[in-house]
Amino acid sequence: MSALPLIIDTDPGVDDAGAILLAAASPELDLLAVTAVAGNVPLDAVVANAGRVLALAGLAAVPLHAGAGQPLVRRQVFGRHSALGAFGDDLVPVRPVAPRRRGAVEALVDAAIGGVERGRPVTICALGPLTNLALALVQDARVAAGIARIVVMGGALSALGNRAPWADFNMLADPHAAASVVRAGVPLTLLPLEATFQALLTEADLQRLEREGALPARVFARLFRASDRGDPVRFGRPGGPVHDALTVAWLLWPELFRTRDAAIGVATAGEVQGHLHADFHGVGDRPVNASVVRVVDERPLLDRLIARLCALPDPAGALEAVAS
Amino acid sequence: MAPAVQPRRIIIDCDPGIDDAIALLLAFASPELELRGITVVSGNVSIDLTVRNTLQICALAGESGVAVHAGCHRPLVREPIRGLFSGPTGLGKLDLTAPTRPPAGRHAVAFLVEALTAAAEEGAPITVCTMGPLTNLAVALRINPKIAAGIERVVMMGGAYQVPGNRTPAAEFNILADPHAAHIVFSSGLPITAIGLDASHQALSTPERVAMIEAVGGALGRTVGDLLRFWDRGDPARFAGPGGPLHDPLVIAHLLRPQAFATRAAAVAVELEGALTLGQTVPDWYGQTGAAASVDVVTEVDADAFYGLLAERLAAGRRRVVA
Repeated sequence: MSALPLIIDTDPGVDDAGAILLAAASPELDLLAVTAVAGNVPLDAVVANAGRVLALAGLAAVPLHAGAGQPLVRRQVFGRHSALGAFGDDLVPVRPVAPRRRGAVEALVDAAIGGVERGRPVTICALGPLTNLALALVQDARVAAGIARIVVMGGALSALGNRAPWADFNMLADPHAAASVVRAGVPLTLLPLEATFQALLTEADLQRLEREGALPARVFARLFRASDRGDPVRFGRPGGPVHDALTVAWLLWPELFRTRDAAIGVATAGEVQGHLHADFHGVGDRPVNASVVRVVDERPLLDRLIARLCALPDPAGALEAVAS
Repeated sequence: MAPAVQPRRIIIDCDPGIDDAIALLLAFASPELELRGITVVSGNVSIDLTVRNTLQICALAGESGVAVHAGCHRPLVREPIRGLFSGPTGLGKLDLTAPTRPPAGRHAVAFLVEALTAAAEEGAPITVCTMGPLTNLAVALRINPKIAAGIERVVMMGGAYQVPGNRTPAAEFNILADPHAAHIVFSSGLPITAIGLDASHQALSTPERVAMIEAVGGALGRTVGDLLRFWDRGDPARFAGPGGPLHDPLVIAHLLRPQAFATRAAAVAVELEGALTLGQTVPDWYGQTGAAASVDVVTEVDADAFYGLLAERLAAGRRRVVA
């Protein structure tokens, strides 16, 4: 079986870095491009971070495209861990890959239309606000036809929000883009917060990454430690979620996820702007448009994730030797 | 006759549509304008039809050189709505020959980004004339905000400022069809001339004016006459007479004869949440919001001057096509 053509649309972001590294470590996936969108941090910083993570992953040849710098309509908000900003040499000691001249939205449009023409539609992991995807899907009907599936990290159905009481960050940051994308007629897999809260990377896991991995795994552990992602009261145990990495994990190991079909939509107006609602029971009249992850098989998932990250070799041109 | 001054560089963004078609014909016949390209958007009818109609109107006027770029196939967020007064094809009862050329290979948004970036670099900004929902320009602005430096001004048909809406009691069609795109454009800080229903309802296509256009003769006079007859709303109680409000050609007329228009400056916001008022354009006449008054809202039109100009230019265009 040939590798799945994949684009990662991302706003790195520590957990985004985990997703890119996992994709890099997975021969089942053919990473065509990384498209960056303002989200966790401003656009300049997400582009620089994505460039560093690509270099760290040994993917310097994968094209990086800069996308939208602000949401479609609402005032811009940044992520909870935005204080981390742009990763410095101290955190990710590699020379960043520079973005291409061509923008992210154009790259997405061309890749999708190319997918139609080649009869091989692309899969997209959407790890940030959905601005780039909304701007691409509105341009040409062939864009939706050329996307096999969008795997979205977003929504907060029973866990409710992390950035607002009613919304996760990605939906809150650009609710209009999200509403537009979920109605675009592209098959969706959704990883809402209550799913990503089921896979917590613990201190023992981080130590394993540091002990068994080369630079990529060690840097991922370092990034993970750089901002406190744990919330023992909320999660009932120690550890921090790896959110975005689960989108790539779902593509690799769907057997570790239980999903349910739903009709999902996003509120663009009113007090709960950015709330993603999911109709699992056919209460409304909207057709099913998403497969929503409900249960994650945590331990095998984290073990496989860690094993993949630890298998990534040191990239060429690292600024820091791997001290043991 | 060569124009006395450097022609004004423009891009027309449209969704023909009967009034768009007439606006294009007016622009083609105006040597003061240097048409750098036409971008087309889904609006009055679907994108396939608006593109086809644009190409047909170009062919009718002998405009084989101007690039026609197909644009966005739906609004940014909301579901599409269609125009009510241009018929199922978008060009009334016209039966024009099929287009003889395809649209340009480049998408309208990519073209706008490229052309406006180049215009900014050359220090020769372009006037963007919009006649449909603002999706193409809004998408371009979000993809690359720096293109604003390549825009001299946006001259827009859209909105209802001191008068009721047309598609709903509160909203004019172009804004209602993509209110989020309109928000992006109005909040961009770009200098805008907004020609809304306040203006176009003063420019009714009365039977006398239609007769004057038909008297131009030839294919152009006949075609525009047919379009205008189809355009008659048949609602003299509402419009204070027979005819229809001729929206989009006012955009081109404003470039040619600004003295025929009176404007008033305001910041304009677009209602995005109201159950009854979605797409309403809300002008801030008194500076109450603190937003910069970057929009010149057209409040009055010299309708006779406008129709006189249209007839004069169509006659010149007819001579050009024949020659």
